Amino acid sequence: MFGQANVLAQGQAEFPPSVGDFYLPSILPWGAENSYWFTKITAMVWVAVGILIIFFLVSYRNPQLVPTKKQWFAESIYGFVRNNIAVDMIGHAGVRFAPYFTTLFCFILLTNFFAIVPFFQISPNSHIAFPAFLAVISYVMFNYVGIRHHGFVKYFKNSLVPPAPWFILPLLIPIELFSTFIVRPFSLAVRLFANMFAGHMLLLVFTLGGFAMISANAWLAPVSVLSWTMTIALTFLEFLVICLQAYVFTVLTASYVQGALADEH
Amino acid sequence: MAGDQKPPNTGGSGDVPSGAGQGWTALSYLIGGMLVWGFIGWLVDRWLDTGGIATGIGVVLGMAGGIILVVRRLGTPT
Repeated sequence: MFGQANVLAQGQAEFPPSVGDFYLPSILPWGAENSYWFTKITAMVWVAVGILIIFFLVSYRNPQLVPTKKQWFAESIYGFVRNNIAVDMIGHAGVRFAPYFTTLFCFILLTNFFAIVPFFQISPNSHIAFPAFLAVISYVMFNYVGIRHHGFVKYFKNSLVPPAPWFILPLLIPIELFSTFIVRPFSLAVRLFANMFAGHMLLLVFTLGGFAMISANAWLAPVSVLSWTMTIALTFLEFLVICLQAYVFTVLTASYVQGALADEH
Repeated sequence: MAGDQKPPNTGGSGDVPSGAGQGWTALSYLIGGMLVWGFIGWLVDRWLDTGGIATGIGVVLGMAGGIILVVRRLGTPT
């Protein structure tokens, strides 16, 4: 974790950055080659889970009618997801999904946010595995919910057969199958992963690029400073992307659940 | 909070997903249409050695299908 700073100070960081920079060294066993069982990424995921569990437990352990600051904060997050995502997208039936959506939203927001927290500085979501698994959960959930609500045959009939004359159905059903059951999990996972991956890459390029230029030629120092200024600006852009992607992932999951619950057209 | 309840879903056209969800749905229909039928056309191409014509026809058909789906699923009710 602190190795980064030393590497930067000694000008040893490689430029341009590569995908290899996303594979951080093993922590347990310490310094092992090609062992990814427990790395900084793993640690960050557990830290995020821990922070969320402890925060929500502590802030709701002794609920007051007039909320304390912590309770107000926790309730605002839950209220936001419940009212602006769950109820807004799904309607009444959405309230029972609000706890899951809140968990999802908070987890993605926090793990994304690690991308710009000093000393964390990389998001677990910049590895495809984490967004992919979240997408699998969403996928299984909206299908399960739909099948339970409509029954197996009616659910697939609802989602595969659009309201259209019979002679264009052969044209439309493959498109429905593709966009509903194949594209959805991929687009959920890839959207989050690609945003976090690209964000980290951008920050790396501008930070390391500054060091590369200043160590290549002292006359390039002003450009290096410009590059680092860009890093700061991009960090703010990153913050926007972080919030937006957490929101989009939750909204789309809600939208899929809504689609699965919708009555036939 | 009984006052701010939304009217219950009545089925039919009231069930279109709102806002962002609608946008992504439309986008995935349009792109999905081209990909699916383009792929089927490409397979036909490989099969009959038609040198790309079937792929082209497939993509155009897929675009048409995607547009029909957007209109039917997300369009204003008749």
